[in-house]
Amino acid sequence: MSFSRHRPILLAYLGMFVLLALTSFFAPGFLAPAHLRTTAVLAAFVGLVALGQTFVIIGGGIDLSVPWVLNCAAVLMTLAARSQDGPLLWVAPLLLVAGALVGVVNAVGVSLFGVPPIIMTLAVNVILQGGVLVYTGGAPPATAPPLIQFLAVGRIAEFPVIVLIWIALAILATIALSKTAFGRRLYALGSSPTVAEFSGVPTFETTLIAYMISGFTAALAGMLLTGYTAQAYLGMGDPYLFTSIAAVAIGGASVLGGSGHYLGTIAGALVLTILTGLLPALNLSNGALLVVYGLVILVTVSLSSDAVSDLFASLARRLRREETSGEGASQ
Amino acid sequence: MTAAAEPEAARQADLRAGDLRLRLVDRAPFLIACGMLAVLVAVYASLRSGVFSLDELNLDTAAAMTLLFAATGQTIVLLRGGIDLSIGGVVSLGTVIAATQFGDSPLSVLLWSVIIVGIGALVGVVNGALVTMLRLQPFLVTLATWSILSGAALMILPTDGGQLPSGWMAFGGAIWLGLSSSVWLLVALIVFWMWFNRTPLGFAIRATGSNERSAFLSGVSPLFINAATYGLSGVFAALAALYLTTQTGAGSPTIGKDYILPSVAAAVIGGISLFGGRGGLLGTVIGAYILTIIGNLVFVLRISSYWQPIVSGVILLISVLASSIAEKSARRSLT
Repeated sequence: MSFSRHRPILLAYLGMFVLLALTSFFAPGFLAPAHLRTTAVLAAFVGLVALGQTFVIIGGGIDLSVPWVLNCAAVLMTLAARSQDGPLLWVAPLLLVAGALVGVVNAVGVSLFGVPPIIMTLAVNVILQGGVLVYTGGAPPATAPPLIQFLAVGRIAEFPVIVLIWIALAILATIALSKTAFGRRLYALGSSPTVAEFSGVPTFETTLIAYMISGFTAALAGMLLTGYTAQAYLGMGDPYLFTSIAAVAIGGASVLGGSGHYLGTIAGALVLTILTGLLPALNLSNGALLVVYGLVILVTVSLSSDAVSDLFASLARRLRREETSGEGASQ
Repeated sequence: MTAAAEPEAARQADLRAGDLRLRLVDRAPFLIACGMLAVLVAVYASLRSGVFSLDELNLDTAAAMTLLFAATGQTIVLLRGGIDLSIGGVVSLGTVIAATQFGDSPLSVLLWSVIIVGIGALVGVVNGALVTMLRLQPFLVTLATWSILSGAALMILPTDGGQLPSGWMAFGGAIWLGLSSSVWLLVALIVFWMWFNRTPLGFAIRATGSNERSAFLSGVSPLFINAATYGLSGVFAALAALYLTTQTGAGSPTIGKDYILPSVAAAVIGGISLFGGRGGLLGTVIGAYILTIIGNLVFVLRISSYWQPIVSGVILLISVLASSIAEKSARRSLT
């Protein structure tokens, strides 16, 4: 529980509050409850996809299959449910299981066959993409059922339902990472697969659970996203590849694995979403948003890098030495 | 005397056989890629007449060349043990600058081409410097620079368009000695690689990719090697952008992302290891042709073009599984 270990996460939240302060200065309407609510809803989608991504990245992997797992779930859900709530009873659980099964395929390739995660999940992504396109013939399916729309845009006493879902899953993810044996094994696996293996960590099972969580949250986000956009469309998952990885990185996790926490990712998702909302208020184009995204990733990742940590540490040491030598001189 | 010589000769033969087997296992991913390309071409030839003609070679090479330029840069970075996602940004930005700035005079075209290649090199050097000096992961650094460059491309040209001089476009379709300009570019690329592989830099990049520590301990400067690796990748991405504009005749601020992951896929299908140090450009060339022929096959079979990603994904999985199994068995025979 040292400061240095949590510095990246604290920095992410600090960045978020600075951003909110700046926003309220440049775009006064931004902090109105209605606008904050929209921001929270949009951040929830990023946060849900990034939840699974966080587990995979902490375990030393990366999941590039999220865009089309998300898209598959969205398309298949609207096709099967035909704008009715009834079929959701079996469709929704089935698709969540299917998302987790994609995670099983990823984990088998990565952990049992030693395929680099980037390649394994990339291949799964393009295969799913082709599969959905062939199946639907490129035509977008029906509108989302009312229940899904309620979950995505509805409210329970002023609170957006999806944000409540997000909070619940965030609590579960935090418990899983901080309080369970699985969490400890995941960090161990991410820091060094070899050491983890020799210390008795069941590496395959741990990788399996991480990728299953990622498939599950991507499928869940896909179904809920149809409720927000009112229908599924092809390519709806593509932006989430970048944002899910960016949210994890801004949240202070290393893509080499072994560090980071979902609490950081939450801040990352909020930072990205606030930026998206802020730039139109400043009359900046889509291109400018991408430039700012890139700069924010570079700055946050640099701030939590080892090199910069070492720099801070040596500065602190020098300050302390000067203090003590100053005291010595006065005596 | 003969009694002593016989076991010695047998031992030598044993060693040679073991050596050959190791070398075969080492080349297995590349050989598998060649086999897959042969099968794909055979299937393609059985479906369509005139596959073994210069016209077909010219067409396929023209289709593969943009990807091949991008994948050459990616190959260099992968051999170093890194990855470069910013290729997509350089390609987008390059086409956009070409489409908006190229004038009708050859001088202006030349000047702006040099500027585009210079931007690619600069982006790469910045990537390499960030990776080295701040000890950041290449994946995140190049993800960030990809985003920045894509944004810059969108700010210059918000939608696809622009105009390229007709002489520039004519270069893309030019034929010399029966071979199109794309085939000559491919020849130039292979000659470059044969030269580059023997230079101290080419050797140092592969050495660093195989074993970073021992390369640095033997005096390779990390900053120089990373700046050179990513710089070259940026240059090849810029060349990909320039070649692409001769084919499309327009700039596109979003087209670059279509080359990021395929460039990795082409290299990996051709037997380049993501763990660095293993493979060569010839494999990448085979990989790029495999991906191109898949597109042709889907077209000839008159099935939905959506099958293309499925087949590419399956081929990618097969080749990466084959190389990881080969790597495992190589390790087993070493111990």
